[in-house]
Amino acid sequence: MKRILPFIIILAVLGIALVSAWYLTRTMPATTTAVGSQSQQPASTAPQTGSQPQPGQPVASKGVPGAEPAHTLGPANAPARLEEFGDFECPPCGMFHPILVEMHKEFGDKLHITFREFPLTPPHQHAVAAASAAEAAGMQGKFWEMHDLLYDRQKAWKTQFDVRPVFEGYAKEIGIDVEQYKRDLVSEYVAKRITLDGSRGHSMGVTGTPTVFLNGREVPFESLPADQLRVIIQREIASAGKQ
Amino acid sequence: MRRTWIYAIAALLALFGFADAIYLTIEHVTGQSVRCTIIAGCSEVLSSSYAVVAGVPLALIGATAYFSAFSLATLAAFGYRVAASLLTPLSFAMFLVSLWLIYLQAFVIRAFCQFCLFSALITLLFFVAVLIARRVKSV
Repeated sequence: MKRILPFIIILAVLGIALVSAWYLTRTMPATTTAVGSQSQQPASTAPQTGSQPQPGQPVASKGVPGAEPAHTLGPANAPARLEEFGDFECPPCGMFHPILVEMHKEFGDKLHITFREFPLTPPHQHAVAAASAAEAAGMQGKFWEMHDLLYDRQKAWKTQFDVRPVFEGYAKEIGIDVEQYKRDLVSEYVAKRITLDGSRGHSMGVTGTPTVFLNGREVPFESLPADQLRVIIQREIASAGKQ
Repeated sequence: MRRTWIYAIAALLALFGFADAIYLTIEHVTGQSVRCTIIAGCSEVLSSSYAVVAGVPLALIGATAYFSAFSLATLAAFGYRVAASLLTPLSFAMFLVSLWLIYLQAFVIRAFCQFCLFSALITLLFFVAVLIARRVKSV
């Protein structure tokens, strides 16, 4: 018995490991926090941002409201309504950025895109600063320009000790009033928008970035590559056409 | 301390490493590991090009190594001498790979994943346990 006991132990461990692995693949843990984890009411008034959603058109049917007006691309009555929760310092978000640009070009008026701030702090030390920079640029109507720059040059700024001068350079590059940008950057309005978007993300069960919802339903992270996302969007558009 | 008990401790350490590697493998397979979460640095580390070797997740290779280590340590604890002799090169190889991975995290990726650091600690302790087991008397 003693000779075969170790083999029994080894096989038992292997069996337990396989069963545990099978169980965990079905129920992955979700433990994370982001800015805006506390529930807050949406801002009742807001200055103009770069893109204007249609009044009375919620981006998704569930969750508490995020910052309004949200940063959007495409018509509000588009059959496919995509909402992304992103963090400018998150590498996978940076990888997802060109995919979303591609989808926007490809589907045009049939796709409505909303970006929500979901800076993860920690681990991303500059995530809130980047989100603030985008929101401050948005107050001068250049949210998407700053959004694109932050993602395109993510690798350049994320390793910097102080990102403020870098982002001020971006602000100058996209042609906004840098002094106004610096004032807006530290404004309560900008901070509140980030908090509201974060609160919305939490209320919708967002646990990491990028998290994407399409017509109110979460798109699995593994379905975010362009070829798979394209099929899902096409399906949503086709489904809307039948109704 | 008897050699048997040291091998038993080594087996237990390998079991912890095995659990850690399985968790990382599942995260990788389900795509969770490449999503950013509050877990510091893991997305940077696990979404890097070093997380996959020839199409195989490094975590899965790690899980295989830990299971082999656990099996050999268990057999060694029950007196299988061949298993004991295989443990030394295996633990040394795992230790070297761990050092390489810490170097990558510190100087190449510039981000640390605590699951990877836990694995490195386990590997170090396992290596030390195997070395001690080689030096003590069997009775």
